[in-house]
Amino acid sequence: MNHPALAEKFNSDYNRTTWHDETLWFVRQKRDRAIYPIPEFQELRQLASQIKDHTLSNLDTYLLEFEKNAQQNGVHVHWAADGDEHNRIVLDIISNAASVKGKTGPVRMVKSKSMLTEECHLNPFLQKNGIEVVDTDLGERIVQFRNEPPSHIVMPAIHLKKEDVGETFHQHLGTPKGEKDPQALTEAARQHLRQKFVEADVALTGVNFAVAETGSFVVCTNEGNADLGVNLAKVHIACMGMEKLIPKIEHLSVFIRLLARSATGQPVTTYTSHFTKPAKGKEMHIVIVDNGRTQQLGRADFRNSLKCIRCGACMNTCPVYRRSGGHSYDFTVPGPIGAILSPNIDLHKYSTLPFASTLCGSCSDVCPVKIDIHVQLYKWRQVVAKENELPLSKKWGMKGLAKMLAMPKVYDLGGKLARGALRVLPHGITHAQSLNPWAKARELPDAPSQSFKEWYSKNQKGKS
Amino acid sequence: MSSREKILANIKANKPAAVAVPVIPAFEGDGSLTRFKTVLEGIGGRAIEVATLPDCQAVINTYYADLKNVSSALVRASIPINADTPKAILEQTDLAVIQGEIGVAENGAIWVPEANMLNRALPFITQHLVLVLAKKNVVANMHEAYKRLGSPGSYGAFIAGPSKTADIEQALVIGAHGARSMMVILYGE
Repeated sequence: MNHPALAEKFNSDYNRTTWHDETLWFVRQKRDRAIYPIPEFQELRQLASQIKDHTLSNLDTYLLEFEKNAQQNGVHVHWAADGDEHNRIVLDIISNAASVKGKTGPVRMVKSKSMLTEECHLNPFLQKNGIEVVDTDLGERIVQFRNEPPSHIVMPAIHLKKEDVGETFHQHLGTPKGEKDPQALTEAARQHLRQKFVEADVALTGVNFAVAETGSFVVCTNEGNADLGVNLAKVHIACMGMEKLIPKIEHLSVFIRLLARSATGQPVTTYTSHFTKPAKGKEMHIVIVDNGRTQQLGRADFRNSLKCIRCGACMNTCPVYRRSGGHSYDFTVPGPIGAILSPNIDLHKYSTLPFASTLCGSCSDVCPVKIDIHVQLYKWRQVVAKENELPLSKKWGMKGLAKMLAMPKVYDLGGKLARGALRVLPHGITHAQSLNPWAKARELPDAPSQSFKEWYSKNQKGKS
Repeated sequence: MSSREKILANIKANKPAAVAVPVIPAFEGDGSLTRFKTVLEGIGGRAIEVATLPDCQAVINTYYADLKNVSSALVRASIPINADTPKAILEQTDLAVIQGEIGVAENGAIWVPEANMLNRALPFITQHLVLVLAKKNVVANMHEAYKRLGSPGSYGAFIAGPSKTADIEQALVIGAHGARSMMVILYGE
């Protein structure tokens, strides 16, 4: 299903849509309160953007520098061209790990948040191969129980109400029926997941930032699930999109100041963990993934999207995301940033996403690395039209309109007819939802008696 | 061609013209103890000031008298923890008291390197966490913190307050997977 159809489904519950809208706007307001006290915040955005520009323009050399340093630190580095290869590499690492080989009983993996592994569909692949996979971020665990994808990259279960979570936990964790207190539900998850942390053979994390000069990588969480998992298991696998790289440790300061403030309005995440060398007797692996990123790097109009640090600020502010929900995008990364990343992956499947925007530009205003998101949305629309992926009604509508606008006489006549028609036709026809989807939640204004052109020529008559 | 070579070749072919790396100015800010404490309390932590490092014991006695399993290299410990301690013992830790190295006033974070952790898992698996920090080691912002840090070492973390989540309806809950509470004892001048 395309975005308009899925959004319509989401919108069928009016109260829930309003609640979703307000909840995300609340996060946007928290973000504002967190950034206003930082006088150099705009300067930091500019610096972050420049650091990313610089890194992307030297990405091959920085990746090699990162690889060399990581290897010197005793970390294994793997390269994956696409999602399938990424998944096979992860499975191979698990199967070949000294601590797992010869183990009787299930091999257990705990994961902290990684949008990349969602993108590669790692969980179903590992499960098919007999690995027990447990997402440990609370929001991710909730959606994993419900067999749903995350609906937001920072708040995976933001589409759910506490009653929904209560019911899910009642079914899977045996909490009392009707229990919906967030404190009690979180405590139940804590007890359940502590056991999983202790039992795990392998821990997988994402990567927020990888630092070329030291071969380190940084993982940011509020819950502490990344560190708990990694430090209790024998094997740590970190999966990173290749654009997560930055050159130096000093650059981290810029990004750490921006990330949590932009994401949730916190001054910093509770845990900002720096992994450089494996602990004694343990294994550490890094999987560097392309999966379409080098192709995006070659698209001059769209390569800016690779600067994204996955804070989710563009979602929280987007009037379309807030009122259509993350699942309506049907892509790993929803919202404005997802709408400019997804067409690179599959233009046909995601052809409606660049239109899931009012082009108001709020996404670009809040982006901590200054990606010109709304400009790219507009440019993707041109690509969609050129590649013949527009729905027929839009395609022929546009063509017709272009013809009419090119012929002033026809345009004048059309305007006149439309104004007349609006005055005489009954509301049921002018606002018929099948004919005029625009009027689904809107009222047309009263038709004026004359066009601007008519008014202008009358009022300017005799004046210079 | 391996994927590694293929990826590197694609980057080489597709990357834009070289862009210079920007110089990060020396951003200054309020590095006062007051700001550090205010921000820390705002994120669910608690700050206590003492005169000298040995005074920490009295604070632990006062606030954590009911906790049985304490691990620390700074105050009286009841369970010894080192890098080889098995999970079953680590799991029983009620309180860990650990030395922090750098405090950041703008966000309440404290740098804890692996060398101070006793075991990499300890600051995260303990039910309650106390970090001990010299007042002179509070800096204004992350730029100053990383400058002082130099290298991140083998493993280390900035820890800012107790473990938390807002994944259920954006309701803030303290004590997700990590420490249920977090106190910073500030000592010295």
